Amino acid sequence: MLLKVITRKKILPYLLVSPYIVHFLLFVAFPVVFSIVLTFHKWNIISPMEYTGFNNYIRLFNDKTFFRSIGNTLMFLVIHIPLQIIVALFLAEILNQKIKLRGVFRGAFFLPVIVSGVVVTILWQQLYGFDTGLFNRLLTGVGLSKVGWLTDPGIAMVSIAVMATWKNVGLYIILFLVGLQTVPAQYYEAADLEGANHWQKFFRITLPMINPTIFMVVILSTIGGFSLFIEPYIMTGGGPLNSTVSAVLYIYKQGFFYYHMGYAATLGLFFAFIILAVVMIQKKFIEKDH
Amino acid sequence: MSRFFINIALLILIWLPLQSCNSNNKSSDTKLIYWCSNNSYEIQFAKQLTEKWNKNNPNVSVKYQPVPEGRSSEEIILAAVVGKTTPDIYSNMWQGDVEAYAQAKVLVALDTLKGFIDFLNERCDSEVIEEIRSLDGHIYQIPWKINPIMLIYNEKIMSDLGSSGPPQTYSDFFAASAKFQKDVNGDGYIDRWFGYSEVLVTWWQRFFDFYPLYLAASGGAPLVKGDKAVFNNEYAIDVFKFLRMLYKKNYFSREQLSARQDVFLAEVIATRFTGPWEIAHADKFKPKGFEYNFSSMPVPDDHKGPIYTYGDPKNIVIFKTCKNPQAAWEYVKTLIDRNGDLKLLEFTNQLPRRKNINTDVFFSGYFNKNPKMKIFADQSKYVRGTDASPVLKEVFDLISQEYEACVIYGTKSPEQAIKDASDAVNLLFLK
Amino acid sequence: MKKIKSILFYLALTVCAVIFVYPFYWMVIASIAPENEIGSLTIMPTSLTLSSYAQMVDKIPIGGAFINSLIVASSITIGVLIFGSMIGYALSKLVFKGRDLIFYIIIFTMTLPFQITLIPQYIIMVKFGWIDTYWALIVPYLINALSIIMFRQYFKSIPDSLIDAARLDGCNELQIIFKILWPNSMPAIITIGIITFMASWNEVLWPLIVIRDESLMTMPQLVTLFAVGGRAESQLGVKLASAVMLALPIVLAYVFFQKYFIQSMASTGIKE
Repeated sequence: MLLKVITRKKILPYLLVSPYIVHFLLFVAFPVVFSIVLTFHKWNIISPMEYTGFNNYIRLFNDKTFFRSIGNTLMFLVIHIPLQIIVALFLAEILNQKIKLRGVFRGAFFLPVIVSGVVVTILWQQLYGFDTGLFNRLLTGVGLSKVGWLTDPGIAMVSIAVMATWKNVGLYIILFLVGLQTVPAQYYEAADLEGANHWQKFFRITLPMINPTIFMVVILSTIGGFSLFIEPYIMTGGGPLNSTVSAVLYIYKQGFFYYHMGYAATLGLFFAFIILAVVMIQKKFIEKDH
Repeated sequence: MSRFFINIALLILIWLPLQSCNSNNKSSDTKLIYWCSNNSYEIQFAKQLTEKWNKNNPNVSVKYQPVPEGRSSEEIILAAVVGKTTPDIYSNMWQGDVEAYAQAKVLVALDTLKGFIDFLNERCDSEVIEEIRSLDGHIYQIPWKINPIMLIYNEKIMSDLGSSGPPQTYSDFFAASAKFQKDVNGDGYIDRWFGYSEVLVTWWQRFFDFYPLYLAASGGAPLVKGDKAVFNNEYAIDVFKFLRMLYKKNYFSREQLSARQDVFLAEVIATRFTGPWEIAHADKFKPKGFEYNFSSMPVPDDHKGPIYTYGDPKNIVIFKTCKNPQAAWEYVKTLIDRNGDLKLLEFTNQLPRRKNINTDVFFSGYFNKNPKMKIFADQSKYVRGTDASPVLKEVFDLISQEYEACVIYGTKSPEQAIKDASDAVNLLFLK
Repeated sequence: MKKIKSILFYLALTVCAVIFVYPFYWMVIASIAPENEIGSLTIMPTSLTLSSYAQMVDKIPIGGAFINSLIVASSITIGVLIFGSMIGYALSKLVFKGRDLIFYIIIFTMTLPFQITLIPQYIIMVKFGWIDTYWALIVPYLINALSIIMFRQYFKSIPDSLIDAARLDGCNELQIIFKILWPNSMPAIITIGIITFMASWNEVLWPLIVIRDESLMTMPQLVTLFAVGGRAESQLGVKLASAVMLALPIVLAYVFFQKYFIQSMASTGIKE
């Protein structure tokens, strides 16, 4: 009887974590290994797998559109992340003051965050419309000329970045608010006594103190940005002139439109390394030890 | 203790669906499933012919089913192939999809069936038979129907412009376009265009602009042969030049025109590249006094010989999951023999891909009643489908990207665009 | 003077808030406006009509998609809560060999970009025959690394004495988790529940990959395909109507549970 109790106690933890083990093997370990195997094969789901050696890699390095898509994604990040930080920090600073109806304003900023990206994209596609979109109507209303928000190859990705900022900034306002509230009030009071103005307080006290929050915002935005897919998929299909094809969109097309499974796996693997590299670079340059 | 077993039960519950599902009952040899498209006319066609067959063949019963709703019929077929739930017979397969399925060995090689070759030779001419032959030499599809792309034009507008008929050459086309171009409401923007083609970069849009024009200019030349791109030639370049000029001079609108009103019937445009499906629509909605007709696609000024076009061919295939392909073939024969073809015309107004259909007396009754269809029937001798290649979608996608750069945005010369497309396609075939 | 500054300040803040809210207002108004007015709409159309909604219901099975999304998101949320707490409990309160290894593996998997596992995961679905089934939508998401970490963190703060007392009372481990820990972890459960539900409701890439059959599509997926495909026939009103329908459930939940939504997001930040 005692033996039963002991063995049961010993097995129990393993039983509890066994779902995770199964899940990990099935949806993490195996896919990573299979992914690498797949990069050396050609497969379109309906035919048997065909060994092709390094062909997929050769194809990758000759694939101008793929590198274009990575470039597009990076450009998106370069616009989106700073814009997001500036706007979120600015609005968080404001909300951090003693203001009336703070909850209402906070709720308004947060509204786009919870809604599906699909909704935001369909909505903004109409706002960005060349002929009848709201933005161009406002422009012509004040005498300016229309802008090809989604039809000008140089602007399209910027338009998507602006939309993405609008959608997500509410979340980062909240995160910054939490970070701002960790700065002890005494620091500001001491600075006031020394006669510091608002900017000095901001750059000397606030920014360094919320560095961990900034770092977290950068990492979250980066990982989110690298997953950019549904916005270009709906809004522009990748055009005009492939200026809005994100890396994930391109991989999706290769894998699930043309069914080049082996090639798509190769692209995915390569892209994953890029993401890890970027995140590591960011860690080095942005995160500071306290 | 009971908790222990409940945990185990939970785990088993998760493992349960991992057991093989999908064990089909072994149906008897004489039950066949036929998937038709979910076009209501084709469903009627399937219904009548299937009922007739079942009456005459009590030991081989055929059940027809419209293709299930989904993203597209191509997606549905792919899902069925992957899930091994394919029907026995499918009649709406786009010719461009066949090669991939043939290479995956999921289709029955029809030339191995009794009576097939003779029947095929009677129904189709040798050019068509070679066109549908797969790269391994076998034949995996039966040409069923085509919808040739031609030029629809507004007769009154053409005579108003002083033309003796529709524009035949690129120069004619430009001349007529220049005359027709107008700014009717005086807001400084052109609002009348001679023609219109959707400015979409989607791969299948090329079937309504680039591809039929290319076939017309080149006398039906292929785009790819085996594993090489063969379209880097003067014809493709001429077509790109033609289309680019149309957009540059605003003879074709670069903006998307309203989808609510039919711009051809509203006389906002005078021509369009379209197929026989337009007839029913135009006859139903055209304003009083509106007269239209069809003509072949425009060609380069120095063109000689017949004018080809693209036919959007849909063909019939038999899947390898079929337990009795010979019986399936006997059934399919009734869909495409003379009677079946006539019924197809009468029910759906779509052209069977049968040789000499424009001169065959059997069909003259139908064409006398439908003179506009006769134009398409005459064109059907000079129709091309698609080349046999497992990556056709991607070929057209790559061409579309160069199309966007050169024709719509003018950032590349036609020569460079065609070369880039050709290079990209060849990269696809990297062995 | 101060009063004027204050008024200007609130005015500016209101303008900012409007920037975030007005587009949604426009979307709703445009969906109930006559089609030909959408191109010139700003504040109010001349008349209201439900024709866009009628057409949408006619063209796509939006109700079915809603049910699908509900089933999938609920199942995933329940699964994540159950499994997350089970594993989080084991990692935080039990001692066994390999416990730390598993913890580090979990952390590692959080850094793995999904772009690697996407294709093989699809292939697994194909091999299991789960394409076009709820299984493909639910099972891969049942175990969530973040939820495990969060539960582990939260449970650590619950005193061991509570658990030991329960054990003495004769409770087995599962009873401990669900009868003792859960009632004391409501903030964590609400947080994880909301985040999981929202994320799985809005998930669209995965359904696009594994579901082809329209009757099984989730709501964001159906609306996406509707917006991108030709079915809407370039009618703006119908597309906007479908977007409104997609937004409605979450927005309604948000209006009633705003406090919890915001708290949930804020606490994920702290945990990082």
